[in-house]
Amino acid sequence: MSGEPERSDDAESGSGESAPRQRFVLEETGFDEVPKKYRKYYRKWKGPQDPLGPNEVLCPVCKVVIRSTRELRVGDRVYCMACFTRFSVERASDGGLEARIEY
Amino acid sequence: MADPGTDVHAFAPDRFIEEVHSFEFWFQAVEGYLSETRYGRRPETPDVRLDDAERDRLVTVLCNYCVGETAALEGASGLVAIAPNRLTKIFLSTQVVDEGRHLEVLLHRLGDLGVASPEAEIEKRASRSLLAFKKRLLDLVAGKDWEAAIFAQNVILEALEFTVFQAHAETADPVTRDVLLGIVKDERRHIGFGENELGRRLKTSPTTRVRLGAIQRELDPLVLAACDETLAQLGTPRSERPEVGRSYLAAVERLGFA
Repeated sequence: MSGEPERSDDAESGSGESAPRQRFVLEETGFDEVPKKYRKYYRKWKGPQDPLGPNEVLCPVCKVVIRSTRELRVGDRVYCMACFTRFSVERASDGGLEARIEY
Repeated sequence: MADPGTDVHAFAPDRFIEEVHSFEFWFQAVEGYLSETRYGRRPETPDVRLDDAERDRLVTVLCNYCVGETAALEGASGLVAIAPNRLTKIFLSTQVVDEGRHLEVLLHRLGDLGVASPEAEIEKRASRSLLAFKKRLLDLVAGKDWEAAIFAQNVILEALEFTVFQAHAETADPVTRDVLLGIVKDERRHIGFGENELGRRLKTSPTTRVRLGAIQRELDPLVLAACDETLAQLGTPRSERPEVGRSYLAAVERLGFA
């Protein structure tokens, strides 16, 4: 659900923050709450059993999955257009990534 | 390098706000999920016959949703006049349209269920807690208290509706489910707007936090009582009701009100 990884010069998925970022080709997944041109950046969340890809974080305000064309890392900025919220990507207590609101 | 022309996450914060608060954004967003519906119902959604007891409970619940949506409609339209800038006034005008639509689809659903006089039925079945909340909200709007009114309306009331409608949609008959899920999609914009507007203000004003904290303590019992009454009508087991309440409280907790 995270999108197709793109084969390109920087297509390697690095585990370290200095490694090149993996790129993703996003396609619409049926999320219809934002204008068409932005729909590929979001998808519906199916609950705790719905795993997030390396280019995805969950919007804590409205529970929509926010997607990026690139692998996300700590410090990145992402927006949820469904609820108008700006986030920075942070390290969660479980080691994964989470979206933290920036008012 | 992300392309700022097409990559939403590459937008500058000001450009993002300008984009999402616009009528143009609203129009293209609602087109995605409303264009194929009639009074919030998709054409392929089947009618399911409810027995008399189920129908009666649903009518009571929908009547109370109408009370909440009327409060939201009157509140949002009053807020347009006291909004601090033009971009905010434009966003609130889209919210007014949303709230009017919500009221219309709920009244239409009551008509579907055979309610001949929705106004009289709402009068008869309205929750006292919800009516008290509505009165207090409209007092805050009439008093031109922007921060308190947006807190009551777009954080407290919208978060309550968002969580209750989502919970109800999981067990509702197919037509009511369509209607509720369409409303929930609108509510995402409303709660996000309120939380962000207040979040920015609270960052720089400790006195606002104290003042809004007092309002929250006053309104919480009314909101949670209204929530509990609705969930009881829906047949939600008592043990599961605090979970829905917690979803509502999460929104106010993110703003620092525990």
